[in-house]
Amino acid sequence: MTVKTYAEAVVDALSGMFRADPNFHAIGRGILGHGGHERHAHALMKEFGHRFTDPPTAEGATASMGIGAAMSGCRMFVHFGTASFSLEAWNQLINEAGVAHSMSGGQIRVPVVFHMYHGLRGGGSGQHSTSPQGMMANNAGLIVMQPTSPRDVKGMLRAALKCDNPVVWIDHSALLGRTGEVPDEDYEIPLGSAEVKRAGTDVTIVATSRAVLWALDAAEILAKDGISAEVVDPRTLVPLDENTILTSIRKTGRLVTVDEAIQTCSFGSEIAALAAEKAHDALKAPVARLARAATPVPFSPPLEKAIAPSPESIAIAARRLMN
Amino acid sequence: MAETPKAAERIALFERMLLVRRFEEEVLRVAQAHAYVGRQHLHIGHEATGAAVASVLGPEDLFHTTHRNHGYLIARGADPGRALAEIMGRKDGLNSGRGGPWHLCDRAAGFQSTSAMVGGSVGLAVGAGFGLKKQGKTAIGVAHFGDGTLDEGICFESFNLASILQLPVLFLCENNAKEGQRPSSMLAARALRDLPAALQIETVVVDGRDADAVRDAAADAVAFIRAGKGPVFLQAQLERWPGSHQTRPEFPTGVTDLTLAWDRDRISGTHADWIRDHDGILLYAAKLVAEKAVSRDDILAVDGRVTSRIQAARAFAEDSPFPDAASAADGVFA
Repeated sequence: MTVKTYAEAVVDALSGMFRADPNFHAIGRGILGHGGHERHAHALMKEFGHRFTDPPTAEGATASMGIGAAMSGCRMFVHFGTASFSLEAWNQLINEAGVAHSMSGGQIRVPVVFHMYHGLRGGGSGQHSTSPQGMMANNAGLIVMQPTSPRDVKGMLRAALKCDNPVVWIDHSALLGRTGEVPDEDYEIPLGSAEVKRAGTDVTIVATSRAVLWALDAAEILAKDGISAEVVDPRTLVPLDENTILTSIRKTGRLVTVDEAIQTCSFGSEIAALAAEKAHDALKAPVARLARAATPVPFSPPLEKAIAPSPESIAIAARRLMN
Repeated sequence: MAETPKAAERIALFERMLLVRRFEEEVLRVAQAHAYVGRQHLHIGHEATGAAVASVLGPEDLFHTTHRNHGYLIARGADPGRALAEIMGRKDGLNSGRGGPWHLCDRAAGFQSTSAMVGGSVGLAVGAGFGLKKQGKTAIGVAHFGDGTLDEGICFESFNLASILQLPVLFLCENNAKEGQRPSSMLAARALRDLPAALQIETVVVDGRDADAVRDAAADAVAFIRAGKGPVFLQAQLERWPGSHQTRPEFPTGVTDLTLAWDRDRISGTHADWIRDHDGILLYAAKLVAEKAVSRDDILAVDGRVTSRIQAARAFAEDSPFPDAASAADGVFA
């Protein structure tokens, strides 16, 4: 075990894959963003820079190239930068990558990991802050993952890179500096397994991506009030580990969902529906959903802050369920 | 230029073309007999282009075609019975009934995903070329598409990427736009080739009715690409078959009568001009006979072989059951 940042764990997984598979290639640069963590990629680029293709600003063709190359026998990593840009390749993601395996009767495989940073980032405004996880999950044939810890990202990225299906990795730049213990050896965390990030007995908070950090902070606040919150991180949205989530809801009898996307048809709403459908008898209170306000993201810092859930708003919602 | 092909190669090419024609005619009969069969986009009138290009490709070359795909699948050796079964939504179809007529796919015959999204094949073939190059193979990626595809932005992006990275990709454009009617492409450019040419891609225009000319042009293009010199845009000029865009299955030019190749006075009807001047099958049959490469009887013997294969294919497809409804949601992930 070594304490590492999330960004370093990402580099670990990619380096291991480059070393292990000569047919693994990446398209795109700036995979660790531009906020200071990119320094962790220097060694990676020095050793494996020739395995990266720097594409023109052409998301559709870039995605197509990754998909076609994957079909031909390569394993591919395609980096879009901001998740908003992935919408330029929506057709390729949904109509090509997602359907090819099934539509071909199982003849074609599309081993591509599509990487993108979603969500509020400070000054992203209306065209650089999209959180498309709900949109991506509302399709057949795409695996959608959102690891949140250094340990998780190394193990899940390794699993994604070895997966024969297209995986959409909707990442958050706020996670890059998170530190934690990371096993030194190679390991994989299966896609489709949730994890209880903090055990508790009174209320379940199901959160994804950066919202997991807010939920963990909320659990600290609640603990001071004597409320024991359990934080469940689905880690993979598709396929979903329903069992871990339902087990927690059955234990606590209360559910708060936290999602950085807009609420309508969101992943948080999906979890709420899951509880209504399969754990209704265990619920002691209505489900509370926290999401981003349904507005194009405003630029001004206080406005941007005001539209997102926060540890405080999560704690308030959880407290309300206790009454 | 390629060497003058031997008679045996030309008759084999003719047989490949005719197999596509008779297959497509059978698809029309199937569509007339089974109301459930999806919308047809037939390759009739394009065989001299499709079969000729297919004849110069190797088994490892990876082909991305469009919703007008049947001809390429058949020309590259996909089993006609399994192809017809797929068009009929049957269990033994090439795609196990999950793709249908717009998405026929046969990986063993060198096809990757068959995209009916206009422009889909162009981007994916660039990926095939990229992947093959990265794997150190000499095989190439091929994108088949129609002239209308150039209206799509993905073509610009994909041409640019293929040119910048000097990828081994053949862009095969079947230009069947008609003059005097609404063209299927609406470009401000003067010529289709102006678009790839602006991005420094080699362009070649060939008479798509002339199987020998297409074969030679395609062989040259493929040799250029395999030599690592970058992508080529090969544009085949075709006159749209009158049944190209039909909502009901019909034979506007009749069932192909090969004797019209040498008995041209009998060509008649509303679409006599198309049959006389633009049917690559009849033109090639006439040329082979005129040059004494083959006899009329040889041509008719080929038709006999091809027709029996198609009849066997129809029987195979009709005998295949529909997939089990319980499997409808299976196989989403590998």
